[in-house]
Amino acid sequence: MFSFDPYSPAVDADPFPFYKTLRDEFPCFWSKEANMWVLSRYADIVTALNDWQTYSSAKGNLMTELPNRAGNTLGTTDPPRHDRLRGLIQHAFMRRNLESLGDPIRDIARQTAAPLADMKEFDFIADYSSKFTVRVLWAALGLPLGDEAVVREKAVMMVQSDPVTRSKGPEHLAAYNWMQEYASSVIAERRKNPQNDLISHFSTAEIDGDRLDEREVLLTTTTLIMAGVESLGGFMAMFALNMADQVEARRTCVANPELLADAIEESLRFNTSAQRFRRCLTRDVELHGQKMKEGDFVCLAYGSGNRDERQYPNPDSYDITRKPKGHLGFGGSVHACLGTSIARLSVKSAMEAFHAVVPEYRRLEERLPWMPSSTFRSPMRLVLART
Amino acid sequence: MPQVTFIEPSGNEVQIDVTNGWSLMQAATSNGVEGMEAECGGSCACATCHCYVEDHQDKLSPAAETELEMLENVASERRPNSRLACQIKMSNELAGMVVRLPATQV
Repeated sequence: MFSFDPYSPAVDADPFPFYKTLRDEFPCFWSKEANMWVLSRYADIVTALNDWQTYSSAKGNLMTELPNRAGNTLGTTDPPRHDRLRGLIQHAFMRRNLESLGDPIRDIARQTAAPLADMKEFDFIADYSSKFTVRVLWAALGLPLGDEAVVREKAVMMVQSDPVTRSKGPEHLAAYNWMQEYASSVIAERRKNPQNDLISHFSTAEIDGDRLDEREVLLTTTTLIMAGVESLGGFMAMFALNMADQVEARRTCVANPELLADAIEESLRFNTSAQRFRRCLTRDVELHGQKMKEGDFVCLAYGSGNRDERQYPNPDSYDITRKPKGHLGFGGSVHACLGTSIARLSVKSAMEAFHAVVPEYRRLEERLPWMPSSTFRSPMRLVLART
Repeated sequence: MPQVTFIEPSGNEVQIDVTNGWSLMQAATSNGVEGMEAECGGSCACATCHCYVEDHQDKLSPAAETELEMLENVASERRPNSRLACQIKMSNELAGMVVRLPATQV
């Protein structure tokens, strides 16, 4: 009897064979373990993303939601309120407005990569990407220096779940609460002494008297820290994994770093770290002969849609010349990742600097320790050796 | 399924079947139409899904405030019939629509 359990270590390690069975045999599947429907085909996921009236985010978008979060973040609010709130802060994340961060990010990459020159073996995450992402986030958000290590530890903890209880355990909730208190103190400080940074801007931003309320500023800040540390770091590790394993592609990118941009898009398609998000139905929907009911949760498996051969021929082939337009690596439609431009800029800068110091490498561990998360997928460790 | 004709920057015309409810941007990107960037994934945050709506204007919902603000940032000439393709959802009313893509999105 086929089952799809997004809490199982098997799915953490390799969801793709499960996704194939879902797409081909059960395109609208009720997962007992997740207690929700699972949509796995590209076309159905895109339809759901475009139809927020039916597939609402207001009851939470993470597969295993954190307490009191739904309704208080951008990703858990529906239009029209969502659009007004997003409009208040998204200018800071647009590519044209990130120009001033380009050189600082390249400098951070170079400085963070430099110590790797003396290392024969290292953990890409502990020794490079975790330091890089935190420094970039600190520069972009204007967070106080000195807190990086503990903030990272809490961000990584809060996105995980207990695979046995299939819910957030006390350690995950404690990390989430810590993060909220931390964000709260930073917001208070920025309100007292506003700087020219993101947190200052959106704690004070206003359109026609409409502002983010206290709760929303706090939870948006918490989400941004989570996204900037965990999501960006998680994807960077996946990209490094792809570059480690796909030797020809890596050599092409080392020889011509401009091609990193195309490789990044292919990695976002091939194995985004943002694998699965959820929505809640506001009405009954019949799909592929299944009757989904108002109030049911629905998993949108972006990681599966991205491997759907109905959309991408030869989907399990990693091809940096593919240029996969419309991929779901950053989600899509109104809630598409706010950090898309900063992520593309950061990952390209990070890998370019990394390759300048370590152009030839392979991974040492055949089996990787995968993060136990029902939403995200990335390794906890990625040991590489120079070759 | 209703159809949309996209005129690519080269002048090449591409006819696409579009699922109702999908944005024109989504239809273009998932069908490999040239001339559509859509960097922000459809969240009205990048102005790189700019298009010129050649007909059916009376059937379109008018642009909301965010779209109007973003249209100020388009890379190619802004015209009276300029819209962001991610803000136009397909419906039977728009069947046969013709949409021209600009010379550049960046």
